[in-house]
Amino acid sequence: MKQKHILFYCISTLLFILVCSVNVQAQNDSIPKKTNDSTVVKLKYGLRIGVDTGKLIRSFLDDGYTGIELVGDYRITKKLYIAGELGNEERIIITDFLNTTTKGSYFKAGIDYNLYQNWLDMDNMVYFGSRVGFSSFNHTINEYLIYSTDQYWGEQKRLETPIEKDGLTAIWTEILLGIKAELFTNLYFGLNVQLKVKLTETNPDNFQNIYIPGFNKTYDSTRIGVGYGYTLSYRIPLYKKNKVIAPVE
Amino acid sequence: MKKRVSVFIIAILLVLIGNYSCERDDLCPETTQTTARLVIEAFDVSLQDESKNIFGLRIEGIDDNGDGIGVLDGYNIVSSSELVLPLRTDADITKYKLHSNYAVNNNGTPDNPDDDFIEGNEDIITITYIREDVFVSRACGYKTVFRNVQIRVDVEDLDDDEWIRSIQTENDNQVVENEAEAHFILLH
Repeated sequence: MKQKHILFYCISTLLFILVCSVNVQAQNDSIPKKTNDSTVVKLKYGLRIGVDTGKLIRSFLDDGYTGIELVGDYRITKKLYIAGELGNEERIIITDFLNTTTKGSYFKAGIDYNLYQNWLDMDNMVYFGSRVGFSSFNHTINEYLIYSTDQYWGEQKRLETPIEKDGLTAIWTEILLGIKAELFTNLYFGLNVQLKVKLTETNPDNFQNIYIPGFNKTYDSTRIGVGYGYTLSYRIPLYKKNKVIAPVE
Repeated sequence: MKKRVSVFIIAILLVLIGNYSCERDDLCPETTQTTARLVIEAFDVSLQDESKNIFGLRIEGIDDNGDGIGVLDGYNIVSSSELVLPLRTDADITKYKLHSNYAVNNNGTPDNPDDDFIEGNEDIITITYIREDVFVSRACGYKTVFRNVQIRVDVEDLDDDEWIRSIQTENDNQVVENEAEAHFILLH
């Protein structure tokens, strides 16, 4: 299990380096010749839709995880995008004393703001974003073994029939930091990391939300959660706007 | 230059979050009160404010078939005024043999164990309760809380001579949930 995780992070890091080098390479190619005239380039505006490939890969590698997330953003100004995600996850968590399955769907909505100064008509992003997330989910407690520090009577009681905890919801906010690079025309690969703060949740009776789809693992001591995404997306170009670049002195 | 810095920051964040999510926090801390054991304090029947040691005390659990399951750890012929008894989480009843002044008499033949006999006075107690499984935390899972705990001293054991005069509690519905204080008082 742990090895799979390590493998996953190795692959992730490789992908990350790959994307970075594509980015840098592309920029070197596009250093403009010195000119005294101002240049006008066209910027593409449109709807970009895609999928979180990280979650797809993890679904194959990790027996305890199945998930899919659709991502989308819509450019409204040169730097500002409306963005959102829609996902569904199933996560099995097994410890020595507890075996649970969490299933649910979530959506997140917010904005992305591009901090990156593109050369000419290039369209890469180094951005930060913010989201509000909503998740609707349920837990199944498949099995538990009563915890006792004393083993004089041998093994403790084991739960025989699974217990369902239904109709649970959670709301959180998150900030994210990421990059998106145009690998081919209109095809983008992106990486992002997310920091989440839980606002409200419905607490199940005689249990605890140990995992929330979209929010990921919860922690006992804090309302904070973390996440990451590896997205592959395609922009459907709808229209173009002119961008005037002042001459370089 | 600026963009290199931000790319570098993102790379660091990715690594940090990678480690964070791999961190396992599923160890149940010892300080957390999980399933509690039953605590009985022994007092003098004639001087009921005085705690009184039970000498030569040996405690052994009795299973569903009425057989002993071996001596309870820490109660193999000891002098003690406090009895800490684990209760069964898989049944609504737990039985113990409380043997005072326990000794093995070898009948003058130390080399021959066949004619050995046990001295002292053995009483059997039956503890009944209602179990409730209560969630503790993701690391500890569930614990059992014992409600409506009652103790009966079996008068129909091997001898008619009971060293335990009575086992009492102040509450009608005695709950065993933490071990910080005694749940029952044993008079002898």
